[in-house]
Amino acid sequence: MSALDIGLYSLPALLALIFLRVPIGLAMFVTGFAGLWLIQGTPNVAMARLKSETFSQFSNYSLSIVPIFLLMGHFATLGGMSQALFKAAEGWLGHRKGGVAMAAIGACAGFGAICGSSLATAATMSRVALPELRNYGYAGGISTATLAAGGTLGILIPPSVVLVIYAILTEQNIAKLFLAAIFPGLLAALGYLIVISIYVRLYPESAGTKERIPYRDRFRDLVAVWPVLLVFVAVVGGIYGGIFTPTEGAAVGAAGTGLIAWVNGGLTRSSLLESFLTTARSSAMIFFIVLGAGFYNGFLALSQVPQTASVWVVSQGFSPWTVLFIILVFYLILGCLMDSLSMILLTVPIFYPVIVALDFGLTPEQTAIWFGILVLIVVEVGLITPPVGMNLFIINAMERTTPMVETYRAVLFFVASDIIRTAILVAFPMITLVLIS
Amino acid sequence: MTVFFRRIAQTMSVLGGVVLSLVVAITVLSIIGRTGNSVMHSAFAQTNFAPLAQWLLDIGLGPIKGDFELVEAMMAFAIFAFLPLAQMTGAHASVDIFTAWLPRRAQLVQRILIEALFAVVLVVIALQLKEGMDSKLRSGQTTFILGYPLWWAYAASLCGAVVAAVVAVYMALVRVTEGVTGRILIADEMGADH
Repeated sequence: MSALDIGLYSLPALLALIFLRVPIGLAMFVTGFAGLWLIQGTPNVAMARLKSETFSQFSNYSLSIVPIFLLMGHFATLGGMSQALFKAAEGWLGHRKGGVAMAAIGACAGFGAICGSSLATAATMSRVALPELRNYGYAGGISTATLAAGGTLGILIPPSVVLVIYAILTEQNIAKLFLAAIFPGLLAALGYLIVISIYVRLYPESAGTKERIPYRDRFRDLVAVWPVLLVFVAVVGGIYGGIFTPTEGAAVGAAGTGLIAWVNGGLTRSSLLESFLTTARSSAMIFFIVLGAGFYNGFLALSQVPQTASVWVVSQGFSPWTVLFIILVFYLILGCLMDSLSMILLTVPIFYPVIVALDFGLTPEQTAIWFGILVLIVVEVGLITPPVGMNLFIINAMERTTPMVETYRAVLFFVASDIIRTAILVAFPMITLVLIS
Repeated sequence: MTVFFRRIAQTMSVLGGVVLSLVVAITVLSIIGRTGNSVMHSAFAQTNFAPLAQWLLDIGLGPIKGDFELVEAMMAFAIFAFLPLAQMTGAHASVDIFTAWLPRRAQLVQRILIEALFAVVLVVIALQLKEGMDSKLRSGQTTFILGYPLWWAYAASLCGAVVAAVVAVYMALVRVTEGVTGRILIADEMGADH
């Protein structure tokens, strides 16, 4: 069996392990290890790699941004900024048809600017917005679906943990990816607002009304969210302006949100310990996947599968757009089963060489960044697609009175908006690239 | 026993969290120092309050030397320290939709196999990290700027790796017990987020 054969057979083997419920990081690690063993005829090389590889992966300076962003997200939650954001958004949007749900989307977008995680955004905003939505007579399904979709803004709007991983995998500039994500993120928020406005017109009984608030109060509430803006500008602006490295930017953000949480009295001993424990679980999970992916991708590269695949796709003369379309659809389907980071670590090393080898009329860097944003969007759709969208579960766990079926039905409207947005961004790469060119 | 291991896993995680916070603090202080240093060197500072600027520079206003190396060593410690808790609470991402319909017996067996595989992998990782540490100890390799021996960082990481391996073995034994008695002892918590 040639190295290429081993590489090709490893793909179904890996998928089989994953579908048998072996944790994804472990599955990639074991498959990569076994593959290296088979290719080299001895486990010694793989064993020797392990002497330094765990340490070097876990001490990777670029990756250290991930746990720091996670910690920042928890501090942002503790800092009470979610309430301030929701209040400000409610003042401006609340009195419209479906306005309170729109306000939840607005607040999620704001929170996404200081939090790089979808689930944290969904969970935090649900705590604030679900009671309000119930007060104003919003139906269960639209409330939970709004927050599940709004949660994805946490990762679509920079900073974003998924983009950090993509940047490291493809050796792209993190700052440029963050900047490129801004317009698509805002477009996502706009799309969700439109979805709500359509939904409440189709099902008028699903939304209540709220009285108008005077402009003076609206501006007062809006001013109250200045710390969010400050942290966002400091982190994303600072990284992009070259004032500090992405890791330093994350540290500034964590320190900033930590300070806000401390000033607002949210940072108690027990809440701090809780933040450490959740950060620990998430970081350990992510780094173990990164470790497994490192092993697996190292083995794949040795077996020449990615290079061969990219040469094959180009030589077949497929239209670049067909290839892109197939890849995006593949992500949408896989996203119904698998979490976003695992999907990216598993597939980007194979798809990325294919995509950059194709001609979309863009420079290689533009193609890489544009593809990164598209992948980010389609994998995030997976968070809200039934049956296993994680955001749906998180919110369902917080809102027991709404049957999952109702959430599923309403969330399909948001999924539709995601798909339309993906099509728009595919058709007009400049929406993504305008800020970096 | 479970309480004991959980306590240890949580303690390691909190230690890791404290170290992570130190990473944040060191990084921010280094940025402040670096910015302050260039401000004090600026023409404005040198013409308007030269003595103060000079004094600040003399007492060492500047970036923290080797902050980059400190961050890397501390991060490795933190991540290894986070592993035991992830192990105990079933935080690792997996796809369970295809196996949820399996009969209960099969699921119990499956849990044993997976946890045993995880234990083997984590034990191998800890053993190889120890090998890696020994080779750094022998070679006497030091870091570039601060010049501390690299094996120190390995040794710190090894603490977490060993605890993770022990916890993983314990969890495998727990799953075996569950398989034999048919009673779930440690349920998985909701998957970790990111």
